[in-house]
Amino acid sequence: MRFSVGIALAGWLIGTGVPAAVAPAQPDVEGLLRRAFDNYRATTSQNQIAMTIHRAAWERRMQLTAQTRGTEDALVRFTAPAQEAGSATLKLGSETWLFNPKLNQVIKLPGSMLARSWMGSDFTYEDLAKSESVIDDFTHSLGPGRTEGGHGIWTVVCTPKPGAAVVWGRIDIDVRDDGVIAGETFFDQDLKPARRMSVDRIAPLGGRNYPVSMTMHPSDEPASWTRVETSSARFNIALPSSLFTLSSLQNPRS
Amino acid sequence: MLLALTWRNLWRRPQRTLLSMAAIALVNALLVLALSFMVGVYGTMKETTLRIFDGYAQFQPDGWGDDPSLDRDIGQPQVLLERARRLSGVTTASPRVNAFAILAHGDRSYGAAVVGVEPAIEGRISSIPGAIREGRYLAASDSDTAILGELLARNLGLKVGDRVTLLGAGREQASAADVLTVVGLYRTGIPDLDRSILEMPLGRAQDDFGMQGLVTTIALAGPSLDGVNRQLPALRAMALSAGVSVLDWSALEPGLDEQIKLKYASALQFYFTLVAVVAFITLNTLLMSVLERTREFGVLLALGMRPGQIGTMVWLELLLMSALGCVAGVAAGAAVTFWLAQQGVAIPGLDKIAPQFGMPSRLYPSLTPFSVLTAPTAILVCMLIGGLAPFARVMRLKPADAVRTAR
Repeated sequence: MRFSVGIALAGWLIGTGVPAAVAPAQPDVEGLLRRAFDNYRATTSQNQIAMTIHRAAWERRMQLTAQTRGTEDALVRFTAPAQEAGSATLKLGSETWLFNPKLNQVIKLPGSMLARSWMGSDFTYEDLAKSESVIDDFTHSLGPGRTEGGHGIWTVVCTPKPGAAVVWGRIDIDVRDDGVIAGETFFDQDLKPARRMSVDRIAPLGGRNYPVSMTMHPSDEPASWTRVETSSARFNIALPSSLFTLSSLQNPRS
Repeated sequence: MLLALTWRNLWRRPQRTLLSMAAIALVNALLVLALSFMVGVYGTMKETTLRIFDGYAQFQPDGWGDDPSLDRDIGQPQVLLERARRLSGVTTASPRVNAFAILAHGDRSYGAAVVGVEPAIEGRISSIPGAIREGRYLAASDSDTAILGELLARNLGLKVGDRVTLLGAGREQASAADVLTVVGLYRTGIPDLDRSILEMPLGRAQDDFGMQGLVTTIALAGPSLDGVNRQLPALRAMALSAGVSVLDWSALEPGLDEQIKLKYASALQFYFTLVAVVAFITLNTLLMSVLERTREFGVLLALGMRPGQIGTMVWLELLLMSALGCVAGVAAGAAVTFWLAQQGVAIPGLDKIAPQFGMPSRLYPSLTPFSVLTAPTAILVCMLIGGLAPFARVMRLKPADAVRTAR
């Protein structure tokens, strides 16, 4: 606790270093983080997303539909290219299942695979499965604030709780004063930046301001990145509870 | 003349000389035997470990070790395969596709290494084909078959004849999925290996993972590890011209290399302490004899022998004695070692634990220049340097005082 107070204090000191007119009013850190997650996911969400995987030698573009319910459940189904169409990932609580149309079979993701790349991207299965981990397994304190494009942006410094089973040494989440995520930096256990998710564009979508284009950059591979662009989104809609089940994973109803 | 004097002096006190020589001989014999055992045992350990799967050396795409991604490959493997097989000492070159996938059966799933192999060649490089405990190994005519480790099969609830599902990512991260029939289960006795590898026919793996005509590694082997090691420069040149890397055994099994180096270092430390102790005992004996013979040296000086000559004589006595001890000890040690190398040494209980470490159940010492020459070299160098003390002592003698010394 004293540690996070220290960071908050340090953040406050750095914050006051900037001219007073630039520094926005200091918000409540937990509330800010909760707002950011609510803005991103809402109670339910249904998004059309294009994912571009870029490597030095090649680039791949995939289309997918992502549906979420609460903080625990998610169903992602790929629609293009033809080779991947129909492949799907279902996350229920802390468990993940995969569906492959060629096999026509549902496979439970083994725990040893959590840290591996999801569909070849710079995201891991863990990013999908442990989306709430940053709230539950970390303590949060307010880092420096800045002003960008007429908005105040705060950095929430997330430090792992003692004994929490997390891979990161620290996560910095930039949150705009209207609760939109503006970037995320993941530090390894030595507190060196391991990867950075930049938010390239924030635009109105589904009745709210939303990070419509985000890019994940692994720090050790400058030529590699993965971009997710959300083209349409609906929030807080009624999704049938049968959607988040193994049978719906295997037999999608349009 | 000096040598004759030395020889005569040695046998003026035969008991003392023989005792010193016996000490030197004993330490030599022990060290030859011990070092031969180390060389033999670690040599066998290396070869058996490497023969399980790695091979004695491997061609790999550059950067494969840090990032084994299927986007790295060995293009035109046929050229490299043929050129490598033409080297003497390298008899086998086995092309492989090394991938990773989720294996599933029923509601169970595990991550495992999936290796595409040429069934006919693999048996000459890896002991896995010979370690099939149930069913059979892959055959050249197979297409949708697989063999896997016993523990992996048990974890997945698989038996011979069952179908195993494979889901992974291929080249350019495209989905790779297949269903294969399990034809055999292997047991190497090494749990890590028995729960982590599935082998399938190379062609099928190339199709599944989008690697048509490409491989990720080429494992190399021959009659002996040394034989392959001798061809490393040639292999490096081949790798360079093909734009890939060649990894020697220590790069393939760095842990094993480290472990063996550590064992050698600690053993040699102990052996050299032994050598030093014997050297000090011998030197002490010699120094005593020099003190006793002060009067004799005085007479020699009075007769006109120069101090340097006397000093050299004493030094030669030491070296001659040490050399004789070394020869006797090495001969005895080598003879015993040679005999044991023919017989092999069965250590009770070893037949139970040895397989876990990839070892045969009998140990065979190995006579090599290293195991034979280390001990005598160490002793003679010690004596050569230590012998300077009595030499200096003789150089300080004054003829008149020396002669007057009471016996």
